[in-house]
Amino acid sequence: MRGVGLRTRVTGGFAVGALVLSASMALVSYQLVRTSLLDERERTAVRAAYFNATVVGAGLAADESDVVRVLRSLETGADRRPMVRRDGIWYARNADQGITAAIPPHLLRTVEDGHLAVQRVRADGQPAVVVGVPLTRSTAFYELDSLQELDRTFRTLALALFAVAIMTASAGAGLGWYVTRYVLRPLTSVAETAEDIAAGHVKTRLDPAAEPDLARLTTSFNHMVDQLAERNERDRRFAADVSHELRSPLQTLSAAVSVLSRRRDRLDERSAAAAGLITDEVERFQRLVNDLIELARTDQPAHRSAVDVADLARRVCRTTGVSSDLVEVTTDHTVWHVDPRRVQQLLTNLVENAVQYGGGPTAVRLGHQNGRYCIEVDDEGPGINPDDKSTIFHRFVRGRVANARGGGDGTGLGLALVAEHAAAHGGTAQVQDRPGGGARFRIELREPTP
Amino acid sequence: MTGMMTVMTAVLVIEDDDRIRLSLMLALEDEGYNVSGSATAEEGLLLHRRTPAEVVLVDLMLPGIDGFECIRELRRDDDVPILVVSARDDTHDVVAALEAGADDYVVKPVAIKELAARLRALRRRLRATTPPIPTHVFGDLEIRPDAGEVSVRGEKVALTRTEFRLLCELAEHAGRVLSRPQLLQRVWEYETGDERLVDVHVGRLRHKIEDDPGAPRRLVTVRGMGYKLQR
Repeated sequence: MRGVGLRTRVTGGFAVGALVLSASMALVSYQLVRTSLLDERERTAVRAAYFNATVVGAGLAADESDVVRVLRSLETGADRRPMVRRDGIWYARNADQGITAAIPPHLLRTVEDGHLAVQRVRADGQPAVVVGVPLTRSTAFYELDSLQELDRTFRTLALALFAVAIMTASAGAGLGWYVTRYVLRPLTSVAETAEDIAAGHVKTRLDPAAEPDLARLTTSFNHMVDQLAERNERDRRFAADVSHELRSPLQTLSAAVSVLSRRRDRLDERSAAAAGLITDEVERFQRLVNDLIELARTDQPAHRSAVDVADLARRVCRTTGVSSDLVEVTTDHTVWHVDPRRVQQLLTNLVENAVQYGGGPTAVRLGHQNGRYCIEVDDEGPGINPDDKSTIFHRFVRGRVANARGGGDGTGLGLALVAEHAAAHGGTAQVQDRPGGGARFRIELREPTP
Repeated sequence: MTGMMTVMTAVLVIEDDDRIRLSLMLALEDEGYNVSGSATAEEGLLLHRRTPAEVVLVDLMLPGIDGFECIRELRRDDDVPILVVSARDDTHDVVAALEAGADDYVVKPVAIKELAARLRALRRRLRATTPPIPTHVFGDLEIRPDAGEVSVRGEKVALTRTEFRLLCELAEHAGRVLSRPQLLQRVWEYETGDERLVDVHVGRLRHKIEDDPGAPRRLVTVRGMGYKLQR
């Protein structure tokens, strides 16, 4: 259910639930009220019709000829219309306005068979109830009772119940929104804690006492974090142990090799060549181990502090043997909040990369825009093959130039470290084509939010 | 190695790994040092007491007395430059070793060229007495670069060579901020390096010259910029 939030769903559920409940309640009460009112009204109509029929029957028995006069003597309101049907002819107080047509034929037959009949009909487009009372074999009394007043009452009732249903649904939605806020509040603290941990505060834990109802979530969350921290610590210790085990013999090799190379001219040609190979390889091995150790540590958060990067970049240029005049600063803000060690290594790797494979750097540019620190290192080498652009920052991937040099002196980890250091600062590493040939490595680092 | 006119610098290597110790001794002798070695801190301390070395290289993981304790022991009554050569590069270890009193820290494997450069820099700090520099006085803090003496309220304070260089550097630019890279360059001669060196040494210096090291009044931190000695 991506896209629709829990809160929306719960609120929607509350609204629909309230609507269904109130609508069915309204429907049931409407039906009950309607049925009982109509029944009551029908009973009244029948009683009145009976009474009137008795009066009309008595009147007709005394004075057979003038049916209309007998009908007019009846005391009925405007809502009631008494009629008499004798030998198939209709008699009414006023001119027949077609209301006799509203009386269904089977009702007429029932009455002519000598039975009392009641039915709800529509006369002149208005609801009414018609009661038929047989008087003699050929005469019957009918009374049409308008239900218009009652119908209006039903409409008002339906409207009121509808309004109540809508209001209840809205109240349900409001309640859902309100309730989820309270339910989600402890989850917000879980989220905040998780963010905190991700940001490097690995000691942060949830307080199980703060929300007793969520105790299970809290304990399992804390347990998970403990487990992760423990595993991290194990990995870290393993990396530290391995690095230590590799570093010690390397120190011996490094020192012994320096003794050897000092006496190279005293060795015969073949031994000197072999000693040279060992020297180079030990140096490469040393760099490889250092890069691997560095890589194993890159998941640790960046330790940011204020660094004058222009100064740092110039120093990196000097130590890597290129002119510090290459540093171009396109911003007034050269004091960056970054991890000095990481940025120094990032710059060193990029400049060394340019020196080794790119014919030397042509510019080291420092900029600052849109909350991001930008570092660009241009070189004048052959550029990066388009196929390699996406993989050049992967571990142990060397560009074609590097491979053409038989693997070169590089460890294949330099640019991977650059990418890792950029990522540690919430940034990115890219390689582009430099206008005019060569490659441009562009690093963006996110400025910390104050 | 005899017959040379210059007196060779005596270096003591305290390292329990025989092969590392031997190879370091060979390589450092090539660099022109008079090297002696010991496999334990106990033996090294004894050796140093008998014939004091001018620079001590010490490993951190040693059997018996460990490297940290060895540094503290050496520092008890000695300002001999101490260089840690360790395979451990955890911030925790680096800081602990520097706080124990080490002057510099390199991580194994270190190239001999680099190690020699570190040693030279340490040696230069030993005889940083020329040219004569006038005495700096900041209230009750008195620094005599010529005599290599520092006193607070007339009482002499024992500083290591590195702490002394650091204080002199700050004193020469008193009232102005020196950044960590600047201090690294001037005191340790690092073009690029570990800024923790500066922080830990400033901390140690504060313990010696401040009344309340937690709330320094003389050697202050300028946030985001560096350190400054108040005039």
